[in-house]
Amino acid sequence: MRGLPIAIVLAAAALALANAGRLNPYWTHVAIIAMYYGILAASWSLLAGYVGLFSLSHMAFASIGGYTSALLIQWFRLPIPLGIVAGVVMCCALGGAIGWVCLRMSGPYLAIFTLGFSEIVRITISTEDEVTAGMAGLHTHSLLASATRLPYLYVAFALLALSLLLMGLLVRSRWGLFFRAIREDEQAAAASGVAVARCRIVAFAVASGFAGLAGGFYAHYIGIMTPSVGDLDEMAKLLVMTVIGGMERLPTAVGGAFVVEFLLEWLREYGQWRLPVFGIVLLLTMRFARNGLVTPFWLQFLRLGEARVSPLSAAPTVPDKESGT
Amino acid sequence: MSGRAELVRGVGLVKRFGGIVANDAVDFVVAEGDLLGLIGPNGSGKTTLINMLTGHLEPDGGDVLVRGQRMSGRPPNVYAAMGVARTFQQTQLFGRMTVLENMLVPGLARSHSTWDEVARRARRYLDFLSLSDVEQLPAKNLSGGQQKLLELGRCLMLEPAVLFLDEPFAGVHPRLRDKLLDRIRELHQGGRTFVVVDHDMESILRISRRLVVMARGSKIADGEPDAVRADQAVLAAYAGL
Repeated sequence: MRGLPIAIVLAAAALALANAGRLNPYWTHVAIIAMYYGILAASWSLLAGYVGLFSLSHMAFASIGGYTSALLIQWFRLPIPLGIVAGVVMCCALGGAIGWVCLRMSGPYLAIFTLGFSEIVRITISTEDEVTAGMAGLHTHSLLASATRLPYLYVAFALLALSLLLMGLLVRSRWGLFFRAIREDEQAAAASGVAVARCRIVAFAVASGFAGLAGGFYAHYIGIMTPSVGDLDEMAKLLVMTVIGGMERLPTAVGGAFVVEFLLEWLREYGQWRLPVFGIVLLLTMRFARNGLVTPFWLQFLRLGEARVSPLSAAPTVPDKESGT
Repeated sequence: MSGRAELVRGVGLVKRFGGIVANDAVDFVVAEGDLLGLIGPNGSGKTTLINMLTGHLEPDGGDVLVRGQRMSGRPPNVYAAMGVARTFQQTQLFGRMTVLENMLVPGLARSHSTWDEVARRARRYLDFLSLSDVEQLPAKNLSGGQQKLLELGRCLMLEPAVLFLDEPFAGVHPRLRDKLLDRIRELHQGGRTFVVVDHDMESILRISRRLVVMARGSKIADGEPDAVRADQAVLAAYAGL
């Protein structure tokens, strides 16, 4: 019955999608945005949670993905999916380059470096208004010719599911094992034969690529790209989502994105006061539940269907299939 | 050393930290089949030497050769891939990963490895090191001695030609220390080459076939343990006589 949790997740997702039409447009929009943040939170957890690279440039990559797609479509009349793919490729390349430049950095140095990169991107986009339309915002083509938001919900869900599947395969492969080894002790990982530099560059490139995918979708859903997509407030929001959910697992990071996004909307009547509340929740999480608030529930959920076994055999085991790199 | 292949050679290795010369033109050779003890007082430059010979520290002068190949500028994982494994003075494990996962990392880092083959080999070594019962525990939950054994096991997963063990007996219970010594002897008899750094003279002398002594960043003696122990310079520098 080890597959029971997966079956439950799939059944719940199918049920939710089948009933998505009952949501009013407002909550449909909230669900779409939650999925957008879900992709970003999962990919940031790949970088920060699995490899231990605390980058603050993730939202800058979402912004780059969105602008790249929007501009290429505007200039060359590319089909929208191709524009989004071009944004992903651009983010992978830039992310890999940033990963290479930051090879010897970690902790606060890496955070400050990526913060600087993020600000350079934001200010460049704001300033180059002949190209990007600056603070006025760059109008983008809509991904779907639909009068309702429901088709966007299905697309957002498909992108989130695809992202989780691909990132899940990565973290369950030997690369995932190397990522965690680097997070635990970079020097020992190198002594164990792990090509630390290559792993760090790959992690940066992959995570940035998924951020670009989320940004590309966002650009062609919202219909306008502004520099604020990549600003520090957005990065702080993503960080809160991922940390509150649990940054060392992809599903818990996505759970955090959903919980925070829906709560932010639900508590909207409290205005700006809801933001300090989330700040306090973040502080309490860091102090008392460093694995995140969603993680204990997720671990409990994963135990569903398991026979009563000894604690030793209940712990994670070696993947029983060959997994390529 | 005659007739035996040279595995690692340090030629005129120099390392400075600010005004301190940690290694001053040190020549060091490890040949196939050696079981070499590297001793010296605190601050004599033993760990610095090991760090340079395993790629963790770039020398300021001199060169490192592995199987005759110049290694300057190469990262530690290349040394590992060429059969040079090491443990650390302060045990450095992947603390929140399980014991088995700690073993899988070096195994899977080797080219052409597969999960099944690596997992089989990891379990064989865990059995050899009496760690099978704890394979699913996080490494940080092991005792100090078990952690030293696991670090040795992680090295073995590289199927190395030479193992540099930096203070493997430090803080280890005497019973586990004996087990560690037995395992090192068995592995040496099985064809592995060892360089063991430790302050525990008794343990070093129980296993070493060759002894190298360092003091103030220089090598002051290199030879048979009995001859080295009788060396006046060694007595003066190491024992303070």
